[in-house]
Amino acid sequence: MRNPVFDIENWREIGATLARNKTRTFLTAFGIFWGTAMLAMLLGGAQGLEYVLRRNFDGFATNTGVMFPGNTSMAYKGYNKGRQWSMTTSDIDQIRRAVPEITALTTLNSYSSAVAYGRRHTSAQLQGVDSDYPQIYLPKMYEGRFINATDDASDRKVCVLGKTVSDNLFPGVSPLNKYVSVNGIYYKVVGVAGQTSEMTLNGRLEESVVIPSSTMRKSYNLGNSVGAVMFMVKNGVTPTDIKPRIIRILSNNHSLHPDDKQAIMYWDISEQFAMIDNLFMGISILALFVGVGSLLAGIIGIGNIMWVIVKERTQEIGVRRAIGAKPRDIIVQILSEGVVLTAIAGVAGICFAVIVLAIFEFITVGTTDMSVFQLSFSKAMGILITFLVLGTLAGVIPALKAMRIKPIEAMNDK
Amino acid sequence: MSKIISLKDVNKTYTGVVPLHVLKGINLEIEKGELVSIMGASGSGKSTLLNILGILDNYDSGEYELDGQIIKNLSENKAAELRNRMIGFVFQSFNLINYKNAVENVALPLFYQGISRKKRNALAMEQLDRMGLADRAHHLPGELSGGQKQRVAIARALITNPSIILADEPTGALDSKTSKDVMQIMRNLNEEGMTIVIVTHDPGVGEQTNRIIRISDGVITA
Repeated sequence: MRNPVFDIENWREIGATLARNKTRTFLTAFGIFWGTAMLAMLLGGAQGLEYVLRRNFDGFATNTGVMFPGNTSMAYKGYNKGRQWSMTTSDIDQIRRAVPEITALTTLNSYSSAVAYGRRHTSAQLQGVDSDYPQIYLPKMYEGRFINATDDASDRKVCVLGKTVSDNLFPGVSPLNKYVSVNGIYYKVVGVAGQTSEMTLNGRLEESVVIPSSTMRKSYNLGNSVGAVMFMVKNGVTPTDIKPRIIRILSNNHSLHPDDKQAIMYWDISEQFAMIDNLFMGISILALFVGVGSLLAGIIGIGNIMWVIVKERTQEIGVRRAIGAKPRDIIVQILSEGVVLTAIAGVAGICFAVIVLAIFEFITVGTTDMSVFQLSFSKAMGILITFLVLGTLAGVIPALKAMRIKPIEAMNDK
Repeated sequence: MSKIISLKDVNKTYTGVVPLHVLKGINLEIEKGELVSIMGASGSGKSTLLNILGILDNYDSGEYELDGQIIKNLSENKAAELRNRMIGFVFQSFNLINYKNAVENVALPLFYQGISRKKRNALAMEQLDRMGLADRAHHLPGELSGGQKQRVAIARALITNPSIILADEPTGALDSKTSKDVMQIMRNLNEEGMTIVIVTHDPGVGEQTNRIIRISDGVITA
């Protein structure tokens, strides 16, 4: 049996028919090209966007809450509105006693400061944290260790340098066990760290110097004040669940109006997670709609051109039937034109989408370690195969019509 | 001489709003090696008869035997195969494929037999040479004159070595001189033993055949 794939005549015929009406072929090809490109860009783009957003939460415990004092917005107990207040370590002790659901908690204080080693110096954000910090916000350790419980309990003068700070002060050498000066007080370097998450609290970890919060309060006369608190709750509970109890404690201790929404900034990260999930559900549905729409437009285009081709070639098909072409021969011929057009335009569309995604990635993500605006090979093949299958199906109706043409009538069709 | 075509009481009615009884019991025998013309006015049923002879159309009742094979209720595939192997068509409007050159047009029936490109093009060249068109082999139909086109079409009809040649107004689109040439080719082929049936309404063409079958109002009159 003759194999249509290996007969050059078949390919020449396909080329000849497609070349006969170049404008129409081009427009149809463009429809398919745009359909595949759209679908590929949507899939790759949605994936990239999701990665970029999710990366913010990497290394962040999902059931984390953050709170810090804000200015009051309501007058209460003789105090005017607009008052500043500050959390204290005794608030924190009380909260930990009253809310056993909190499994890890760190106070956060920060302070812009000058850091020096020998003749080198740089500015950095000084951050005081508790030893629970890594449980909640995972630091990326380049060297050494993070602040631990013993450091915290015994007010050790130890510090963890941010990667950038370390590179500035110790280019090419390890800073471990060296002493750096932070605003005139010396600390022993025990580690070098960066942040895993893209979400930044109190300045990037890379540009910070981290010391135990107890040490910080003593060294810089902060008394018992606490800038902010970051905590993690046990599974099955969300930070929002425990919010009323915490608010009540703080409101009582600091004479805040119980209904004052601005006096205490309270942030539940699990809600952000849920929001991102919803956002991506929305984006996926949108992508599906637009993608299916462009897919349909492309397919209708193929069906249309196939229909026109059959109409135009009625006489030729009649002649072929008269001299012995079997119905199968005619169907294969018509379908293969659609398949060739789809394959070429589809591959071009996917290539175009990949280039666009690469440009998009270059602009948004820059030169970070991972490429995210990408189309996986399997997805690209999936799109192409979907188009090929649907393109073939779109050609089936015109091909069947071609097959029904009676040779005699076709040849009289002038 | 053996019969190559035998029709016994063949009837054909076109169904429609008003059913049209086109062939009303056709009895016809054509011997191997004959050069026959079928003549009749338009609407007489001669085109329908040609379509049935050429296995391009079905008939309702009766029997049609072509070269020992009963042609009745064939599948599309079987009909296509028989057309390909047993019948060579020559049409009034040539019906060449205009984006294929002469050799490719002539070779097309062999393409549907699954013969390799090299072999079918070699056979096609032989046929073109026989028609005196070897030097036009790589021209497209648009670059050929009417007479040349018809000779390419005849070469295409001959390439499968068919049992009969069916020609539908082969000179209808040609001037008198080229008509004469084409009829000369037909007669030469007939002398070489080919059975040829020509459908025409041109008495000049009919005269050049050995037997004239006249059809009128769906019945054979002579």
